[in-house]
Amino acid sequence: MPVTFHIPGALREFTGGRREIRLEQSPGILSDALSLLYSLHPGIRDRVINEQGQVREHINIFVGEENMRYTGGLATILPPNPEVSIVPAVSGG
Amino acid sequence: MIGQVVGHYRVTAKIGEGGMGVVYRAFDETLHRDVALKVVKKDAGPDALTNQNLLQEARASSSLAHPNICTIYEVAETEGELYIVMELVEGKTIRALSGNVGLAPESVLRYGSQIAAALARAHDKGIIHRDLKSANIVVNSSGLVKVLDFGLAKRTGPSILEGPTQSFASTQDVSTISGTLQYMAPEILRGEPADNRSDLWALGIVLYEAAAGNLPFAGRTGFEISSAIMREMPKPLGAPVPPGLWAVIQRCLAKEPAERYQRASEIQAALEAVQWGAVVSANPGADQGGARTTVLHGVRHARVKRGDFVLLVGTTKGAFILRSNTQRTRWEVGGPYFHGHNVYAMAYDSRAGRRRIWASTQNYWGTLLRFSDDFGKSWTNPQESPIRFPSDAGVSLKNIWQITPGRPEEPDVLYCGVEPAALFESRDAGETWFLVRGLFDHPHRPRWVPGNGGLALHTIVLDPSDNRRMYIAISSGGVYRTSDGGQTWTAQNRGIRAMFLPNKNPEFGQCIHKIAMHPSHPERLFLQNHWGLYRSDDYGENWKDIANGVPSDFGFAIIVHPRNPDCAYIIPVESDEFRCSCDGRLRVYRTRNCGASWEPLSRGLPQKLAYETVLRDAMSADSFDPTGIYFGTRSGQLFGSRDEGRSWQKILDGLPSVVCIRTAFVASDEAAATAPQPAPSGSAREKFPSSSGKSRSRFQPVSRSKKRN
Repeated sequence: MPVTFHIPGALREFTGGRREIRLEQSPGILSDALSLLYSLHPGIRDRVINEQGQVREHINIFVGEENMRYTGGLATILPPNPEVSIVPAVSGG
Repeated sequence: MIGQVVGHYRVTAKIGEGGMGVVYRAFDETLHRDVALKVVKKDAGPDALTNQNLLQEARASSSLAHPNICTIYEVAETEGELYIVMELVEGKTIRALSGNVGLAPESVLRYGSQIAAALARAHDKGIIHRDLKSANIVVNSSGLVKVLDFGLAKRTGPSILEGPTQSFASTQDVSTISGTLQYMAPEILRGEPADNRSDLWALGIVLYEAAAGNLPFAGRTGFEISSAIMREMPKPLGAPVPPGLWAVIQRCLAKEPAERYQRASEIQAALEAVQWGAVVSANPGADQGGARTTVLHGVRHARVKRGDFVLLVGTTKGAFILRSNTQRTRWEVGGPYFHGHNVYAMAYDSRAGRRRIWASTQNYWGTLLRFSDDFGKSWTNPQESPIRFPSDAGVSLKNIWQITPGRPEEPDVLYCGVEPAALFESRDAGETWFLVRGLFDHPHRPRWVPGNGGLALHTIVLDPSDNRRMYIAISSGGVYRTSDGGQTWTAQNRGIRAMFLPNKNPEFGQCIHKIAMHPSHPERLFLQNHWGLYRSDDYGENWKDIANGVPSDFGFAIIVHPRNPDCAYIIPVESDEFRCSCDGRLRVYRTRNCGASWEPLSRGLPQKLAYETVLRDAMSADSFDPTGIYFGTRSGQLFGSRDEGRSWQKILDGLPSVVCIRTAFVASDEAAATAPQPAPSGSAREKFPSSSGKSRSRFQPVSRSKKRN
């Protein structure tokens, strides 16, 4: 199953400037798909999750238009041909 | 042995024999389970001292609860013989399974990722295998991998080494080496200590062996093997080995540890990725966009050269580098670096000929420690944070509050104080870091509570006269001291009040804001508390109140004059509730008699409607004569005095909130040191150019300003 990741500007340093990363074959669970992304672009991992494997407090991951926090977290089952967006939260002063 | 009872284990059969000893199957008559019992050969047996070490190591290894690690149950001694009791693992070794033609690639990937998972777990616990090889990795009938002998290799010395290791032993000082030669990483052969990445090299050898059926580096003698390891490239593996697997193996077998994967978890992920059909590159910097260093374009840089004086300014929205000459009258501003990041800690490291600026950066993408060797033109941007809590710590890094270069005689040692409160140490100039467990496992830690800024270890003070003694301060936890290089720590808070607790004089729990020491008087410490100003004259054993004549004993920053150990500077604020300069007058207070009295220094500072706050690391001194003092405010103003505080000038305003200031002299002489800390270590004995008596002119107007964010 292919999956497309949308990479925010701050992380494109780790994807050679690419805005989108498309994986032709991906596992069906969000955490596994992300692991595959991390293995190809290792710099992304630490920016998205902490040492305990949790998504950072002010980072959101959307599967399609749904925030994964409301669809089962990292265990979210991906729909066919998913688009996954990594987005920093709107916060701060 | 068969039929004998050793301890409470009845030996039932012999399983095998190796260099270390004989392995038996045995029955635990207490817990009624089958176990493996390894009796250590007498000629391989440790002496009394290493016996103890082996026991300690086994205790550590027994904590490695992981499905891919063979559990050690017990190490004990009977009738002078040492024996190790462990989980009985029945299956075949990777060596046996590989044969002469190797395993199917799918099996290599499946087993390899399990081995990597085992290593990741052990490394997180601070345990290095040191003797990973195909002969001590067993696969059971379900395909579950078990890595054997974790942690045993380190302590049992060279006598357990097998095969060609023996011939190698005659050419090297083996007292510090353990392992099996064919699996040894180049850095170990060079005599360098093993670290996690040496295990990752060994995993690369195992993967190669499993895929090919033979070892990548061969030879008839130990010398030939070690020579191949050091110099030769492994013969490439083609089909049926998929390119992705070959790429992983190549990266594991990079001669330089820095070029390998840095963590076992990366290898696990990479092997799993190959299983999923992804493309993996052997070159970490190629198609992975593996940015390690970021060159900054579109940012104005200060053109720093030898003989310049530099101010490092960390703010809540980025870092700035201010350059001047020894006159310190005109300033060129570089930055802002790290747009929008909190930069709570900066440091300058001039040891070993470096000109390295360290900075911690924190925002929603996490916290990183970075450095620049070209005064800000480029900064490291590590893919993975080099400072990270092991998974069993149960916490994750929130911020780095303090970066402290080690003593001059330890040029590769660095310390970082972090939030949540913990101390990290590096012994390789910041390449790798480890959690100082002696402090993290302190029984007081669960009762430390966050201050307003979080639960931060924000101050690290090294005793220059004793490289085993150092102090740290925590808000809110108190002052802790080690006298054994970090192994054990004691609370040193006698006499320091905790106004916010029912017990005003607890053993620990005080909200310390800053401590400072003069290097020529390491027994004397100054302390600014959350309410309270103190001095200790006995290495922190006792503290006495020195708030004599100050408008408030609440404040954050405290620094010691670099040459006069009786002289210290503070900037009081009105109260806990109103953390602003007293009466709207911005005044620095100085004592020149160890706190018996304090004098206000206000000439040139705003004395009307100046409700300013100066935070704990936002004041610093240089090492010129007369000394320059610098501080920054939460409102983004930067002030400096070139005459030890008698008069002040505004250097810059319009900055984001200033949280850190450090000073550095960029020495012409590589050996000259700088003032990396508020109380510059050793500065009293170092030679710095005098700014001369005639250089009394005021600072020039600010050349560049920014609107506050």
